[in-house]
Amino acid sequence: MLPESIGIALTVAILVWMIAAYNGLVALRTRVRTAWAEIDVQLTRRHDLIPNLVETVRGYAQHERSTLEDVARARAQAMAAGDNVQQRSMAESALTASLGNLMAIAENYPQLKAVENFQILQEQLTSTENRIAFARQFYNDEVRKYNTAQFTFPRDLFAGLLGFSPAAMFAGEESGEVRVKI
Amino acid sequence: MSQSGYQPAVGQRFQPRDRETFFDAQRRNRHATWRMSALCVLAAIAMGIPLALIVTPLLYGGGLIAADIVNLFWPIPPFFWQQANEVARFGLVALNWLLQHTAADPQALAFGAIVMLLPGTLLSIFLWMGISTMFRHGGVGGALLALKAREPNQAELRELQLADVVQEMAIAAGLPAPRVMLVDAPGANAAAIGTSPADARVVVSRRLLDELNREELEAVLAHLIGSIGNGDLHIAFRVIAIFESCGLLVALVNAPFGSQSRRALWHIFRYGIRGPGKDGGTAEAAAVADLLTRNVGLDTDDIDRFFDATKRSALRSIRNFLFFPIFFTNAAIKLWLWFFSLTVLGPSMALLWRTRRYLADASAVQLTRDPDSLAAALKKLKDDGGAISGGGWASHLFIVSPGRGGHTAADAPSRQQMQALAQAWVATGQPGAGPVSAVDPANFPALTGEFTGTVRAAFAGDAHAMARIREFREAMAGADPALAAHIPDIADLAAARRGDRTAIARLRAFREHAVSGTENRKAEADDGAQSSDPSSVSFLGFHPSVDRRLKRLARMGAHLDLPAGDHKQWIVAFVLSVIFAPFLVLLIALFLLLIAIMTMASLTFLVVWLAVIHKVFMLVAHQ
Repeated sequence: MLPESIGIALTVAILVWMIAAYNGLVALRTRVRTAWAEIDVQLTRRHDLIPNLVETVRGYAQHERSTLEDVARARAQAMAAGDNVQQRSMAESALTASLGNLMAIAENYPQLKAVENFQILQEQLTSTENRIAFARQFYNDEVRKYNTAQFTFPRDLFAGLLGFSPAAMFAGEESGEVRVKI
Repeated sequence: MSQSGYQPAVGQRFQPRDRETFFDAQRRNRHATWRMSALCVLAAIAMGIPLALIVTPLLYGGGLIAADIVNLFWPIPPFFWQQANEVARFGLVALNWLLQHTAADPQALAFGAIVMLLPGTLLSIFLWMGISTMFRHGGVGGALLALKAREPNQAELRELQLADVVQEMAIAAGLPAPRVMLVDAPGANAAAIGTSPADARVVVSRRLLDELNREELEAVLAHLIGSIGNGDLHIAFRVIAIFESCGLLVALVNAPFGSQSRRALWHIFRYGIRGPGKDGGTAEAAAVADLLTRNVGLDTDDIDRFFDATKRSALRSIRNFLFFPIFFTNAAIKLWLWFFSLTVLGPSMALLWRTRRYLADASAVQLTRDPDSLAAALKKLKDDGGAISGGGWASHLFIVSPGRGGHTAADAPSRQQMQALAQAWVATGQPGAGPVSAVDPANFPALTGEFTGTVRAAFAGDAHAMARIREFREAMAGADPALAAHIPDIADLAAARRGDRTAIARLRAFREHAVSGTENRKAEADDGAQSSDPSSVSFLGFHPSVDRRLKRLARMGAHLDLPAGDHKQWIVAFVLSVIFAPFLVLLIALFLLLIAIMTMASLTFLVVWLAVIHKVFMLVAHQ
């Protein structure tokens, strides 16, 4: 009589715990997916800001046509890369590089730097790069939490069975300095 | 130490083993929060038990009188009176056990304890839950919403940066971005207010934007948003709710005496019935909350006016007789609440809040991955951190403790202005050397001393000094006329030496202005402290000192030159506390004795008073 009731109580307790653990893992996985989507949002925001920037610079620095064209091309490629993660991240990195070139060149035009509109655009661009970086940082933090949850005992015993798999971190200019300063 | 070639010149060096990651710091602080919360709960219970003991007889008295009044119209069956007698008997058993240690059987004792404690406890819990529900919508910091705040102007670069920084930090924290409110206050500070991450707001003073650069601003916002994400708004709300419940209790016992308390109660009642208004009722909630928290002091105006012996009349005498026992209970409750919250409950809450501040600092490092910028921001705010007026009970939500001494004066020059003045001054000292680069703020006191000395020499007639002052004034007049007004005019000096009366008058006015300016600032600081303020309910401040925060940031990797620990200070403090400890213990014992005496007196008076009134009612009922 007694061992039976203990056995039942134990089984119930374990079931309850497993349900709670499952829900916890689902919540973490959802956060990881949301974080990934946030990166996407910020990348799109950058795409939207670029035309305005290019026009402003073109008004003052007509000789830098090649750099401006580079930026426009990189932007088009990034927008066309679609959902392929490899292609997308390569295209976005290329866009970051060309934007860096553009801003470096803009330093040589003092009357451009003095234009208030340009300062505001520059700030918007800096902020966009920061937002992308912070979205990546948040994504990595969530992935770390999610993976840790899967690999700690006793959840690691059945996490794989229930369909959870470790997520990949956003490798890049990682290890500490996540900020890309333009 | 061989990390990245950085060596602090003097003071503490953090060995690699002293370092901790911000994750570890966060974990440590979260554990500490649990301990501090347990401490607060214990403190609240310890406060509640004597409070229940004091309040319960009053409740019974009220119940008895109510029963007597009802009995006049509809006779109550004797069963009720028998039960009332039983209850009184148990109470007496408990009291006897407490006072005279007469033996009593445990069950009767248990009943007696319940009888003596339950009604008071229930009332306290009821008040606390009522306050929590009523103010839940308003959240914390509502007082700041009554200020003239505005949205950041996205066409202005600094304000655009502020809006961007808030968005960036919200993304880094995975939270919805809080609304930003800009306040044109003389002090540099920022606070997070609201109820939850979903409807939080960040209040920033314009002066903060002027003082900090973009990285430091990011660190400050990271601290605030990190604290929002950690749930500090809920905790702040609970902390305030406890003090508001005490205030409500005090208002209730003050009500028979004072019109101010009655008005406060009426406002609360109206707010409770009407509920939050259109904008979430935060401003109203703040006003009501302010009324309540103001009560947690030893305000005796109402009572003095009530018992004013100069206005004699028969009606007053009767009224005084009727309310006399409540007066003792009132005094006992207020004394106990004030004393206990100042010494035990307040400090527990302060310790809890400090742990949350440390946690928010660690979260800021987690979000920005850059402890240096937060350290730099805190250092700047340590000197310039001011009050956002109207703060009052929201001041514990600020990132640094608001205003100390004369730094909150509106006419103290800001950092930029000081920089401009210093550069111009140094330039006059090196004629022909060209424009001067930025001056290290640490040299400001030395430069100020130099300036004062030169002014005195100029007054005395030194031609060289006079020339320098003239140059300085001209340089500043060109750059910033408002600042130039702080510098004496040399033409006036020359004229004064010749005897020109108007020049002498102008110089005297200048000197008075310079002198009284400092005095005015001191006076402002002295009575600038708000009457209702978290620091008035606890001898420990709610904000940890900036030095301690800097030390923790250094452990997380900030590159700081920390002053070596001041051991002498600790030794002196230790010796003083040993000397004064017996006096302190004696003082505390006296206080407790006073409260016990008042409780006993109130109980005695109440019993006699109730007996008389009950007899009167019985006589009337049997007519």
